[in-house]
Amino acid sequence: MSEAIAVKNITKVFPNVIANNRVNIAVNEGEIRAIVGENGAGKTTLMKILYGLYHPDSGSIHIKGVERKLSSPRDAISRGIGMVHQHFMLVPSFTIAQNIVLGVEPMKGLFVNEEKLVKSVKEVSARYGFDINVDKLAADASVGEQQRAEILKSLYRGAEILILDEPTAVLTDMETRELFVMLRRLVDKGKTILFISHKLREVLEISDFTTVMRNGQVVGTVKTSETDQHQLAEMMVGRETIGGRIRTTCYAKDTVLKVENLSVLDSRDLLAVDNINLDLCNGEILGVAGVDGNGQEEFIEAIMGLRPIINGKITIEGKEIQGLSTREIRESGIAYVPSDRYRSGIAIDAMVWENIITGEYYSKPYSKGLTLVMNKIITITKELVEKFQVSTPGVKVKTGNLSGGNIQRVIAARELGLENAKVVIASQPTRGIDIAGTEAIRQILIDYTSRGAGVLLLSADLDEVLALSDRIVVFYGGKISDAGYWDEGIRDRVGQLMTGGLGE
Amino acid sequence: MTEAKKKSNKFDFRGLLIETGTQLLNYLIILSISLLIGALVIFLSGKDPVAAYAALWKGAFGNRLKIADTLDRTTIMILAGIAGTVAFRTNVINLGLEGQLYIGAFSAALVGFGLTGVPSYIHIPLCLIAGLIGGALWTIPVIYLKMRWNITELVTTLMMNYIGIRFTEYLIAFPFKDPEARMAGTPLLEASARLPKLIQGSTLNIGFIIAIVIAIGMYWFLFGSKTGFEMRMVGLNKDFAAAAGIPVNRSYTLAMMMSGAIVGLGGAIMVMGFFGRFLGGFSSGYGWDGMMIALLAQNHPLGVLPASLFYGALANGALAMQSATGVPQSVVVMVKGSVVFFVTVTVFVNYIKRRLEKWAA
Repeated sequence: MSEAIAVKNITKVFPNVIANNRVNIAVNEGEIRAIVGENGAGKTTLMKILYGLYHPDSGSIHIKGVERKLSSPRDAISRGIGMVHQHFMLVPSFTIAQNIVLGVEPMKGLFVNEEKLVKSVKEVSARYGFDINVDKLAADASVGEQQRAEILKSLYRGAEILILDEPTAVLTDMETRELFVMLRRLVDKGKTILFISHKLREVLEISDFTTVMRNGQVVGTVKTSETDQHQLAEMMVGRETIGGRIRTTCYAKDTVLKVENLSVLDSRDLLAVDNINLDLCNGEILGVAGVDGNGQEEFIEAIMGLRPIINGKITIEGKEIQGLSTREIRESGIAYVPSDRYRSGIAIDAMVWENIITGEYYSKPYSKGLTLVMNKIITITKELVEKFQVSTPGVKVKTGNLSGGNIQRVIAARELGLENAKVVIASQPTRGIDIAGTEAIRQILIDYTSRGAGVLLLSADLDEVLALSDRIVVFYGGKISDAGYWDEGIRDRVGQLMTGGLGE
Repeated sequence: MTEAKKKSNKFDFRGLLIETGTQLLNYLIILSISLLIGALVIFLSGKDPVAAYAALWKGAFGNRLKIADTLDRTTIMILAGIAGTVAFRTNVINLGLEGQLYIGAFSAALVGFGLTGVPSYIHIPLCLIAGLIGGALWTIPVIYLKMRWNITELVTTLMMNYIGIRFTEYLIAFPFKDPEARMAGTPLLEASARLPKLIQGSTLNIGFIIAIVIAIGMYWFLFGSKTGFEMRMVGLNKDFAAAAGIPVNRSYTLAMMMSGAIVGLGGAIMVMGFFGRFLGGFSSGYGWDGMMIALLAQNHPLGVLPASLFYGALANGALAMQSATGVPQSVVVMVKGSVVFFVTVTVFVNYIKRRLEKWAA
């Protein structure tokens, strides 16, 4: 078998993050290659590079052994690369056939040759044994049919290498099985398939080889028949721990935050959090692990009053807080470090002082009557900037001009500067911060627990969760499972729960 | 400690210098280019650009009375610009200033001619308040639709313009028609509701001072008050503001209503100071000018003042230019358009900033 596609030493740097770091992957013709990794591991960036949407900062792409520059998707298509996106891009008012040939229609003079169009699409469809009614309107097509149409669209354009980005995310089990049969058939005809996913069970079922990515690097490539979920999960989340576990004593006594039967919808009105119960004790750091998108974000937003809940009860020291405004919830003793700092953690065009006082600007000593007391504000924010080691020329500086790590420190200064919080919800609190800053923020979280507060720590970085938590729960598919108290075996248990391993 | 303090102060000062210098130079370049474009068009149409611009200048600032008239025209520009500023600062896309202006103007007129036998010092404030309330009330459907069904104000405010303008046209065509008026309008306001003039022979009135006070007040409100702080944070990042516990919906509502109220006040001042009655179709797009002025001023209340003066001068000068040299007023529209274009695309800012930083270093 000869090499279909290879990337050599691909590096792609975005501001503040290395998305791909010297990535090497080679895929043979007729192979199904799975690429797995957590969100942010760099899978999607790599695929976008292969499809000509991004351009690598260094490194090269080889197609059938020849180095190629892919400057646009058009380039990629002409080199035989096809991409099926997670979200389908079909014109609803066109038929499947019309969608497939869109842009490369067979013409008769000035007009589209409808007859030839349908015939040519049927030909391609028959050649690969697709079960699809091409005369149907895209608007009437099921999700599975739409996906098949997308795959046909690539094949019609002569794709030899198909990239499928999380193809099963939108499919039912039945449709997934059909898809897999189809993929097998394509491979038999000599096509090559890159299959991106983080559903390990499916990866094991369909792929020949599996490449695992983490933090923009390739961790390794294994023959799928010789591996198992356990090993892949381990490769995905990583073994080596930076700093190691730094908690030694557990102070847990009474329940400070209690969540009962909580259900929450996501933005698409699907059930994201499914009847969850959770107790957070004072003096405890409770780690919340899970692959992104399993309901943990919605769970936190519901607690903070940012997302309506369907049913359930949330109490802080016995006082119900569901249905209260975010401000009232904060006032009942919650400090909140949001995970997506640019979306909800900070206003990048606001000054540093403005970002720091946003939680408390309305109370003393920041304001008096209707007015902000500027000299007090500046003095206090300057102190906080110093305490949290924000490296900035002053507090009257646009926050967006600071580096990512310093922005995170500004958020920490706002949220963790309050010493009387009873519950701290910290989502990715040290993301992008250097080691010294990380240590400092971790120490602050630990100090909270010694003062009797409870800390809910969410992180995509499993090492951080493991390093700090007394106890860990795992979100998977909107449900919560308890990985128990920290011990030597917890990493394995968490890794399994994260991929739905023990639950099934 | 003191040394470090000194250092940081010094840094701020230099930064401020560069920031202001950049802004000033940027506007100077934009203004020159836009005027050049206008001159080019005048030249191409066979007229003398120098004479045309001279006539424009004379029309706007030629003598004491001309200056006063220009300031009178600036009054409505300031209020419309401030109305745009307070909305845009909160990221509320109020495109309905024109409609709110009409409703505010009509409400003031209604109190102005409907209420009789009260002294000026009561009648004038009542009319002004009517203008404020009218403009604010006109935004309530928009706010309701936003809160209830999350319908974007971009569309609803735009539609409310037409409803507002046509509604007032109906009111003066039927229920409040003044049979003696030559143009469709309400009866004349009571003398007690007319705004005192500042200069004999010009329409410049006390409304100008009110506008300046409002601009300064808005500056304090946005940058010095708690509520203004909330509104600015909501405008900068709504999700962030919500997560930090700022009542986002309240800020939205307040910004929309303040915006409507202030432009409504502008309408009231035009009726009470300039026309003396409500006239159908009286506004030559002041609401739209207000948005452009806010844009020019980069939503800074004090920046609105020079931007409004620029707009007011162009508006008054254009008439003089047309009658003296035959160059059509629409050249001015082109100049305004070019200015807005260059401000929006901010082509020069980065270049100037780099040069200034190099120069200062």
